[in-house]
Amino acid sequence: MKNWILFVITAIVVFLLGMLASSVINRKSEAKFAYVPQVKISENEPRNEIWGKNFPKEYQSYIQTLDTSFASFQGGSKTIDMLEEDPRLVVLWAGYAFSKDYNQGRGHYYAVDDVRNILRTGAPKGEGDGPMPATCWTCKSPDVPRLMNEKGVAEFYSGKWADKGSEIVNPIGCADCHDSKDMSLQITRPALVEAFESMGKDINQATHNEMRSLVCAQCHVEYYFNKNLPGKEGVPYLVFPWKNGMSAENMEEYYDEIEFSDWTHELSKAPMLKAQHPGYETYLTGVHADRGVSCADCHMPYKTEGGQKFTDHHIQSPLNNVANSCQVCHRQEADKLIENVYSRQTKSMESRLKLEDALVKAHLEAKKAWDLGATEEQMKPILMDIRHAQWRWDYAAASHGASFHAPVEIGRVITSGLNVAADARIKLARLLASLGFEGEFDYPDISTKHKAQQFIGIDLEKLKAEKEEFKKNVIPVWLETAKEREAKMGVEQVTMNH
Amino acid sequence: MANHFLPDKNSKWLPISIVILGSIVGLGLFLAKESEIVSYMTDDPKACVNCHVMTSEYNSWMHSSHREMASCNDCHVPHDNIANTYYFKAKDGLYHASVFTMRMEPQVITMKEASAEVVQQNCVRCHEQQITDPKLSSWVESHKTNRTERQCWSCHQEVPHGKVHGLNSTRYTIAPIPTDQEKDVVPEWLKKEIKNN
Repeated sequence: MKNWILFVITAIVVFLLGMLASSVINRKSEAKFAYVPQVKISENEPRNEIWGKNFPKEYQSYIQTLDTSFASFQGGSKTIDMLEEDPRLVVLWAGYAFSKDYNQGRGHYYAVDDVRNILRTGAPKGEGDGPMPATCWTCKSPDVPRLMNEKGVAEFYSGKWADKGSEIVNPIGCADCHDSKDMSLQITRPALVEAFESMGKDINQATHNEMRSLVCAQCHVEYYFNKNLPGKEGVPYLVFPWKNGMSAENMEEYYDEIEFSDWTHELSKAPMLKAQHPGYETYLTGVHADRGVSCADCHMPYKTEGGQKFTDHHIQSPLNNVANSCQVCHRQEADKLIENVYSRQTKSMESRLKLEDALVKAHLEAKKAWDLGATEEQMKPILMDIRHAQWRWDYAAASHGASFHAPVEIGRVITSGLNVAADARIKLARLLASLGFEGEFDYPDISTKHKAQQFIGIDLEKLKAEKEEFKKNVIPVWLETAKEREAKMGVEQVTMNH
Repeated sequence: MANHFLPDKNSKWLPISIVILGSIVGLGLFLAKESEIVSYMTDDPKACVNCHVMTSEYNSWMHSSHREMASCNDCHVPHDNIANTYYFKAKDGLYHASVFTMRMEPQVITMKEASAEVVQQNCVRCHEQQITDPKLSSWVESHKTNRTERQCWSCHQEVPHGKVHGLNSTRYTIAPIPTDQEKDVVPEWLKKEIKNN
């Protein structure tokens, strides 16, 4: 009898344990449906609006990068014709596409539009045509990781820019930085991963705070297209020149070692380097980076809407959002803070313009020396000086915002550039004298963009007319093809009727 | 020990008892596994989202600056001595587990008085330097009372969960489950592509 009672009690205990286990399992599966999103986002989903269905607040703030109303002293989202602002640039980039057209970039939402419209990408008539390689698309769209995944990285980089026009249609957005499964930050561009490898670092060791800058560093960096990578000869493969370090001198040394040049200057014949936009590299040398402030902290600070806090995806100049970015740490008036930024930028620009003037003169004097019969051997050291001085100028100028991010470093770089430019011009003065040139040099009038472009022989009207043709004939075809492709992708709704 | 539970060697009850005892232990182990019981011994905030009702708390913390410095336990468990830490953790945890099992959890979770006290002490523990600036004591009127007679979060309402939190205020929230693997920042497809190159 006693045994039977024990048996019954045990049965009840096991039954209750089973009930508890069943409850745990039930509640665990409940979790899967408690926060059901509207749609399923697949890996490499390029369409931002699909992500937006699940994350409306982030998406709607991202859409605000459409706003082009804000212009600051040296940036903002307004289209500014930089060649019009500073015609010296036309001469500095003579023989290179940047002398045709160079505008202040607008928000991320315009990334694809702007690269189609800029005169630098030319007016290709179809596949295989046009001046630019496919590599130029790399930073423009979440379609890039999708396509790299489908085709392979080297295959993505090969071919012409126009070849992939119908594939790349969604502007920079969600999939560029986020994992579709859990929204964590991720690196989608191979060049950054490879650059870390070249420095002997593993990007997977990056902390979360570093990731809040590294996702930006996928694009806002100095890079070049290497056509001589072993095994990938002929493919303009995107590489960051970080092997020796990230300072202007480190990268200069790297480029000199591999004898790389972006183009040969039309006037001086110098083998030139074009700095892209070493924003991340220069940011790292500034005090904000030293204090652990990430790109996102200032360019996408937290925002509150209806009591809910989220990251503002309206990525923009912090000067248009001082209250949420600067004033979180700095308890001064917004006007005062902006004034502080501007004063750093104005002072930096003062010396940068001096370097520009010296460079313009050096290019023109070098041309004169060639015209008077200078030899390659005589010119070589001078041209190297011009290359180095202009690289340093460009490193300072193209790293938008660097005169604020790292004013001391930029001051140092510009000064070293001025020094090299002075060297070049002393050598040129001696050479010109030995070639029999005496007296004042007659510098041409390049006071406007028009005059400067005429001087170096750019027919802007012709370029514009060709671009119009391209916009009329080619882009609509791209869009149509893209629309058909995306229609097939579909959207998988998540149903709640379980 | 076994003598108390198991019948005599010759009894016909012996095999039956062994099977029954085995099933109880097995079921217990299964329960421990399903409820991720080991995770509760850690400080990992992911343990707190074992119960999905904590998802909005987890996510509001995860998007706050406290994430880098303080886990759930840093604020919600006392740190005066180790015995008290684990006593409080066990007490709170078992209470949470019972409420959750009984399906008695509210839509908006609020702290009980004992928890509020603990959190207040923890704010002070880490931020002592900031809140006891002697410069302020001398010239800000009622500096001390302002500091000691209120709760930190009556003013710092957004720290770290925000004023509004609950099931409906954070839509489509995705929180990791405690068994998720630590993953790399480079997606698998890209790793493969780079290796192939």
